[in-house]
Amino acid sequence: MSHRPKTFQKESITVEFMVRQLRESVGVEIEALNDADASTRDVTESNLHRPGLALAGYVDLFTHQRVQIIGNTESRYLNHLDAAAREDAFEHLTQFPVPCIIVTAGNPFEDGLVDRAADEGIPVYRTPLPTVRFMAALRGFLTDQFAPQRTVHGSLVDVYGIGILLIGKSGIGKSEVALDLVERGHRLVADDVVIATKQEGPIVMGSGTDLVQHFMEVRGLGLVDVRAMFGIRAIRFQKRIEVVVNMQLWDADKEYTRIDMIEDTHDILGVDLPMVQLPITPGKNITVICEVIAMNYLLRHYGYDPAEVFTERLRDQIRSEGASVPARGIEYFEGDYE
Amino acid sequence: MIERQVTVQNRAGIHTRPASMIVRTASQFDADVYIQKDNYEINGKSVIGVMTLAAEQGATLTLVVEGEDEDEAADALVELFEDGFGEEM
Repeated sequence: MSHRPKTFQKESITVEFMVRQLRESVGVEIEALNDADASTRDVTESNLHRPGLALAGYVDLFTHQRVQIIGNTESRYLNHLDAAAREDAFEHLTQFPVPCIIVTAGNPFEDGLVDRAADEGIPVYRTPLPTVRFMAALRGFLTDQFAPQRTVHGSLVDVYGIGILLIGKSGIGKSEVALDLVERGHRLVADDVVIATKQEGPIVMGSGTDLVQHFMEVRGLGLVDVRAMFGIRAIRFQKRIEVVVNMQLWDADKEYTRIDMIEDTHDILGVDLPMVQLPITPGKNITVICEVIAMNYLLRHYGYDPAEVFTERLRDQIRSEGASVPARGIEYFEGDYE
Repeated sequence: MIERQVTVQNRAGIHTRPASMIVRTASQFDADVYIQKDNYEINGKSVIGVMTLAAEQGATLTLVVEGEDEDEAADALVELFEDGFGEEM
């Protein structure tokens, strides 16, 4: 049995944390309508629920463990009922231990209902954001919070805007290459311990750990604080992992790519990331090669594939008549001009 | 592949000195060494990695060792832990 990397994910976050992060990190305006204790209520999943049917009294399959969103429809429904019926309708909701209730689009919400929720310990919030926009923001935040994560042993550097993850056996020189890249003006995300987080689609984000941040260990030197030494331009906190560079000792029996730079893939959290197999040989400047890998990736991203262009040129040459031996690239040397 | 449960015995936990002892020992072997604390896992040959475990006295860790010399590597590492890294327990 071969070792499989462990993945982990959060099982719950408190409503208090969620609301604070919405305000501070996501930038959503949200106010508490009652003072129910939000630090003891847990959100356990990223899905949201609009409890229209529950308010109407149908509570079979009611997903009460989700954050409950009172949008325009639910607000109008409650308002069109008379006071007694409104309380009954709301009771259908508050009889369950819902994590919290959020009223969107700045809709008014009756004090009596807010207090009713407080009695059950359910915090109620209001946001001026329209329902759809608020739900998209909250959904995005919660999806990230509950996303699968794992640690990757490697160094993540932003090279010309491309997130390059250097992997390979201990002692192969990943940190040294990362340091060299930083010295050439690229930005370190994390060294040695990269926390990878799976996002929607084929996106894997990488960041460092809260403890290490931008410290790195260079064998023979000890710990180096890249941020203190190189300044703010040399670091960033997060970057999408776009290309994996697998550094390895040269193996004469192994077949390395000659034409296409990226032939392999490397699985991180179920996403197959493009991987370059990079044998280390004497005289090879890995840093420059990393820059070339990044630029090549950029070229391909903008629709230019050098391998394809060259193959096409070769095919034309073979098809065309005459030129059976390679011709000089220049017809006539005009002195030493360009 | 070998899995071994170990407990941090020394009072100060895995601070920098024990961390470098673990890494030095692990690096003497060809086998890959991973250390897990709950679902968090790091490479046992990385000092930074081992330090991020922030393992306190009494913490239980799982060593995962894989490679030709895995038996010797696992034994050497388990001994380090049992010894409390030669520190006050």
